[in-house]
Amino acid sequence: MDMGLLGQFIVNGMMLGMMYALVAVGFTLFFGVLDVIKFSHGDVLMVGTFAGFSTYLGLGAIGIDNAFVQLVGVLVVAIASMALLGAIIARYLVLPLKSAPPLNTLLVTLMLGTVLREAIRLFYPDGSNPKRFPALLPTDSWTIGSFNLRADSVILLVGGLLVIVGVHVLINRTRLGMAIRAVAQDEETAKCMGINFKMIVLLTFGLGSAVAAFAGVMNGLYYNEINFGMGLLLGVIGFSAAIIGGLGNIYGAILGGFIFAALQTLGAVALPFASAYKDVFAFAVVIALIAWRPTGLIAEKTSERV
Amino acid sequence: MEQQQETVLAFKGLTRRFGGVVALNEFDMELTNGQIVGLIGPNGSGKTTSFNVLTGIYEANGGSIEFLGQDITSWPAQKVYEAGVARTFQRSRLCLELSIFDNIMIGAHKRLNHGFMFNVFKRKALQQQIKENYDEARKLLTIFDPELADKMFEPVGSLRMIDRRRIEICRALISHPRLLLLDEPSAGMTHEETRELMDDILEVREMIDGLSIILVEHEMGMIERVTDKCIVLNFGQKICEGAYREVASNKLVQEAYLGGE
Amino acid sequence: MTQSLKDKLIILLLAALGAAFLVTFIAIEEQAEIFALLVFAGVLIIASAKLGLTDKISQSLSRNERLLNLSSIAAMLVVIFWFHEDHFPLLMIATVLLYVVACCGLNMQFGYTGVVNFAGAAFFGVGCYTAAVLGGTGTPLLLVIALGGVMAAIVGSILIIPVLRTRGHYAAVVTIAFGLLFRTFLEVNDTLGGPQGLPVSGMNLFGWDFNSNIQITENIEFSFYMNYVILALIMVILTFILMRRIERSWIGLNFDAVRLDETAAACYGINIKRWKILSFTLGNFLAGIAGALFAMMLGFIAPSNFAFSDSLILVSIVLLGGMGSIWGTILAAGLVVLLPEKLQVIQEYRFLLYAVVMILILLFRPQGVLPRNLRSYIPGWRG
Repeated sequence: MDMGLLGQFIVNGMMLGMMYALVAVGFTLFFGVLDVIKFSHGDVLMVGTFAGFSTYLGLGAIGIDNAFVQLVGVLVVAIASMALLGAIIARYLVLPLKSAPPLNTLLVTLMLGTVLREAIRLFYPDGSNPKRFPALLPTDSWTIGSFNLRADSVILLVGGLLVIVGVHVLINRTRLGMAIRAVAQDEETAKCMGINFKMIVLLTFGLGSAVAAFAGVMNGLYYNEINFGMGLLLGVIGFSAAIIGGLGNIYGAILGGFIFAALQTLGAVALPFASAYKDVFAFAVVIALIAWRPTGLIAEKTSERV
Repeated sequence: MEQQQETVLAFKGLTRRFGGVVALNEFDMELTNGQIVGLIGPNGSGKTTSFNVLTGIYEANGGSIEFLGQDITSWPAQKVYEAGVARTFQRSRLCLELSIFDNIMIGAHKRLNHGFMFNVFKRKALQQQIKENYDEARKLLTIFDPELADKMFEPVGSLRMIDRRRIEICRALISHPRLLLLDEPSAGMTHEETRELMDDILEVREMIDGLSIILVEHEMGMIERVTDKCIVLNFGQKICEGAYREVASNKLVQEAYLGGE
Repeated sequence: MTQSLKDKLIILLLAALGAAFLVTFIAIEEQAEIFALLVFAGVLIIASAKLGLTDKISQSLSRNERLLNLSSIAAMLVVIFWFHEDHFPLLMIATVLLYVVACCGLNMQFGYTGVVNFAGAAFFGVGCYTAAVLGGTGTPLLLVIALGGVMAAIVGSILIIPVLRTRGHYAAVVTIAFGLLFRTFLEVNDTLGGPQGLPVSGMNLFGWDFNSNIQITENIEFSFYMNYVILALIMVILTFILMRRIERSWIGLNFDAVRLDETAAACYGINIKRWKILSFTLGNFLAGIAGALFAMMLGFIAPSNFAFSDSLILVSIVLLGGMGSIWGTILAAGLVVLLPEKLQVIQEYRFLLYAVVMILILLFRPQGVLPRNLRSYIPGWRG
């Protein structure tokens, strides 16, 4: 294979892996503290991207056209608003159903995902059509042989890596992280130790959603296009990645994201009729992986007592 | 023990590990026809684990289980039940949304016809089978509590703890088991209720010939009154075996209880 | 007047009221009138609930199941014949009926065994595409319908291993992934028409052409949709009987035991896999036969009919009616299908509206509108 093409595949795969990992981290955080799957996660990501996009339009409207300022504005608004939305969802939809059958939580968050999707489609100006997301990053590129490395790709990958490192530090090196880990380990004991359970849940959901918003903006910047349905696919894949890594395990989720992206990229390379069946292949992989290892490559903590 | 000394159940070196924790370590035990054995020991000493390994919920990591002369070590839960082992659970596992009758009928599974044709098209025969089983379930439940037997079509979720225990025991007994496993039947009940339940269990044993019982229990009064033999577990290991009185005066046992908790 | 006579009168009255309501609701076009009728019905229901009438009525109903079932069919026939020459109302009614069949299938999965399936629209779609492919081949109509169901069951069997090995969230994502896969596959696959879809040719039953109007006498002509409505009604009746018989048998008990506690069920000899496979396969079969007739009736199908949001609509019907409740499914299918057709304001917003309603239902009335009753194996028999 041509070097340039190979490099392109690798960069593309890394980018996908980074996005999947960021989404998967959210799923795994939520599952850790509350043993629930929030199926609206992908749609929260989408709403975050639209919030960022609106910020860009708003900044443009008041005459700010410096790309860096715009980028910061987009990121700050997307992340902050989704952190808030995540906490609100946890407070009003997930926590009230804590003692209901797990199926109900699943359904509620699925339905919420539909609400978010439909709300954007119906109420965002011309929401049913894809939007052109601006290229806010430098467009320089370096040519190495036949391979063209774009600066924005490098920046996005580094940014994603920084977010992952940030989450790692937050979980492992701070008091908040300690509290999150304590709740994930054993809710009752954590409560006895004076940890405000509800607050930790809200903060965790906020954190996971903020990370998803970042992934959404990343997605927009990389593909330069966003639409109201983008969250569904990313959500399903992110969840699968979290499962591959073993739910509740952050490093597993990151690994799962990259494994999934690698499989997808390999599939695109290996299949002759590649591009059209790309998504079909991705979903088939999801199904096969879950059938093969229902609890993930790194085993999930089991909680059932007999 | 005036009955013949047929061995019903034998564990040989039964071992089960969870990660690094050895929940059951080289456990040997034997149970003969009609015997009631008490399984005691501090929390986490492997009592429930031995039930779960025996009934096929967990796989054994070593050793063997013999039941009525057959090696059932790695049998799935369904097959163990078919062979004649029925159990109750530490935390009552009834279907709370279903009626008493439904719950008891789950226990009768091996005697019912589950064929699709029979259930969907042969309605007359099915209804006949339902009525026959209803009569038997009612007779059994009446031994425990005649009032309860009048509530066959009420949801189990609306009942008191002791009634739920009774139904769980009925669900086990309706399958005509050779071996009944009772996992802490007194949990969540008052002394008075525990006594009542104990009387019921003794009555049932009188009634069913050759039924052997293993009883996991913390309530020592109950153990003393109903068991023929006691086995004490600590950290997955058998530390003592014998009649209740011997066991209770054993030094190791006292240490396990006093030092262990 | 004796109690039993009173019960019977109540049922007949209810059936008449139901038929009258349906006829009026379907016939009127003026949005304000429709709205007023709905408010009136709502007030009536709330008032009778407040007066304790609903409890009494439901007791009367449960004492006379046979009469209830028969008079419901009669009421439905009255409605159908009322609109015998109107294409659109008949199309709507048939759609409701076919949704009932498909949702009964989902109910068997969700409500009985607790097997989650978020790809209901995909299995419905398998039935549709089967009908489209077989359309021109001269295959007899009833065989096409049956094959639609069989195909859906076969396609479902691809998912059996993942569905058996997983529970709850995992099984959900497996079926969601399958639903998305199915639609994407249809869109990129040219043999099945790609994004434009496929036409479905009309069918005939024993030489009877289903797609032409029926001349009864010189003045009476039935819309050709009558064929489909009647066939759909027969399918609903058969499905209803199947669901009821399964529920009131040991199979239904096994299903419930699997749903409520797999570990305890296994310890009592219940073969979890066997019952999950049966309910999953039967459920998909029902979705498939509904889809096959639906495709023939519409005459045209496209991948966009089988999106994830359509699967969610099917799940919403099950949930709204009440898990495992057949009457609930019938009522909910009627509401969910008819409301957006009649009230144009909500047409555009229906996915959003349903999702919001579902969230409210899950938070405040998770058992649904008409919750399932305890199993009574033999009607009227209590030991």
